[in-house]
Amino acid sequence: MTDRIKEQLSAFLDGELPDPESALLLKRLERDDELRGALSRYSLIGAVLRSDGDVPAARQVAARVSAAIAREPFRAAGFARLPQREALLRGCAGLAVAAGVALGAVALVQQLQSPDTAAPAAVVARVEVPPVEPVVDDTEPATGYTTPPASESSGGLAPAELANFLVAHYGYATPLVRRSVGAGLIGDDSAALQQDVPAAEQGGQ
Amino acid sequence: MARPAIAIALGLAAAPALAESGQEWLTRMGAALNNASYVGEFVSESAGRTERLAITHRVRDGVVSERLVSLTGSRRELVRENDEVVVYLPDQKLAIIERRSGRSDLLGSLPQFEGRMASWYNVDWVGRETLDDFGPTAVVAVRPLDGYRFGYRLWIDVDTHMPVRSDLSDGSGRVVERLRFTRLRLDDQIPDSAFEPALDRSKLRWVRQSPQDDEAAPAWRAVQVPPGFRLSTSGVQAVAGSSGPVSHLVYSDGLATVSVFVQAPSPGKAPAQGTTRSGVASAFTTVVDGHQVTAVGEVPPRTLKYIATGLRPAALAPDVQHAAATDRRN
Repeated sequence: MTDRIKEQLSAFLDGELPDPESALLLKRLERDDELRGALSRYSLIGAVLRSDGDVPAARQVAARVSAAIAREPFRAAGFARLPQREALLRGCAGLAVAAGVALGAVALVQQLQSPDTAAPAAVVARVEVPPVEPVVDDTEPATGYTTPPASESSGGLAPAELANFLVAHYGYATPLVRRSVGAGLIGDDSAALQQDVPAAEQGGQ
Repeated sequence: MARPAIAIALGLAAAPALAESGQEWLTRMGAALNNASYVGEFVSESAGRTERLAITHRVRDGVVSERLVSLTGSRRELVRENDEVVVYLPDQKLAIIERRSGRSDLLGSLPQFEGRMASWYNVDWVGRETLDDFGPTAVVAVRPLDGYRFGYRLWIDVDTHMPVRSDLSDGSGRVVERLRFTRLRLDDQIPDSAFEPALDRSKLRWVRQSPQDDEAAPAWRAVQVPPGFRLSTSGVQAVAGSSGPVSHLVYSDGLATVSVFVQAPSPGKAPAQGTTRSGVASAFTTVVDGHQVTAVGEVPPRTLKYIATGLRPAALAPDVQHAAATDRRN
């Protein structure tokens, strides 16, 4: 990623990037995973600095992306002229970019907010029960507790993909854990936060 | 005699007249899970987040209906009726419909902790414990014998036999998810209206994930799975976001379940590799033989990685190999 792109990202997050350049940046975000990851990291830094790690603040970044998408020229003037399928695809892609940025930022904020002891302590305070440890990736033999690094999550499925697979998996879980899987699906911070839905897969009820 | 004093000091009720067994309580709990109709609310804590949900569950004439509603803001819902699950995401004006394959009769039902499962889990009777919201419960621990699956500590209500609290833990005993009811009421008269989502469905976009071919022989299979896991069902289905049909294989040890999805690469999309998490479930995705292979389940990530990296086209796959049963890492 070039310095020029980094500068554009920074200006965009500060609301200082001109609209034409914002439109170009957003189009690039739709197809560039690395760029989306960088935007999430930058937004995280900003969110943490501005709000002391408040997750809703990170979500505001997504709102800014959404607002910028809404201002895109093709939406304002030419949306109706697009074939329906293409229009839906573009709309969904734009939403996915915004949502992806949001989840990335939120996840990273939560990651920073959750050192080995701080996060469970917060849980204890709310529900008055002993702490629940984060899920441990014990791919390698465990020598102690290790918080999974953020890069591990960022290299995997996009949030919308994970949600789709979880929906498909839900019905096969045994009753003992099915509620847990369901809670992960529809919870506020769940993978289902984002959905990128190609038009071809939509249908009426 | 010191023993009752110790029990009281530990918050345990006095020992019952007859010896109690974890197996018996799990059997009662399984029957309740499969047959009881109930309404309640529960809290799920996992990886630093807390979710509060309402649940309505009804079993009538063999038909299972269930509705989960998030109570923490978004009002997302999940409604299940037998093999069909609909996830409502009103904040996105979206609904996802998943129809489960009809070949999966053995799954999603009473977990059996006998036979082959006894080789991979120990079931221990812990004792009686009184919970503030529910009174006396029977506490049972289900401990995995290796690092490929999670363990459970269950608080089973002695009256309803329902698990009113469950702690999910990894092989080291660390709790990775806690689910506890704050309210639970058995109800045999739950009306159909209780399963109607509280949102305007006419304004939603609908996405269907339906099985496409349940009868075809699996085109893929795992050549390595952890001990105790075996193929439970397979099929081909549509999955939102995928450009073509997706092979879906389900592996289970009787308690833990892993879904494996195999799909052709999407044009113009870079293949993914790595682990992601959603509450108690994780996903590991990788590329095998030019296809995107994704394993999803409520098991440790290493289990998903082990299975996913062992997927092969069925025509080329040797016989399945199990991970060393001597792997007792805790």
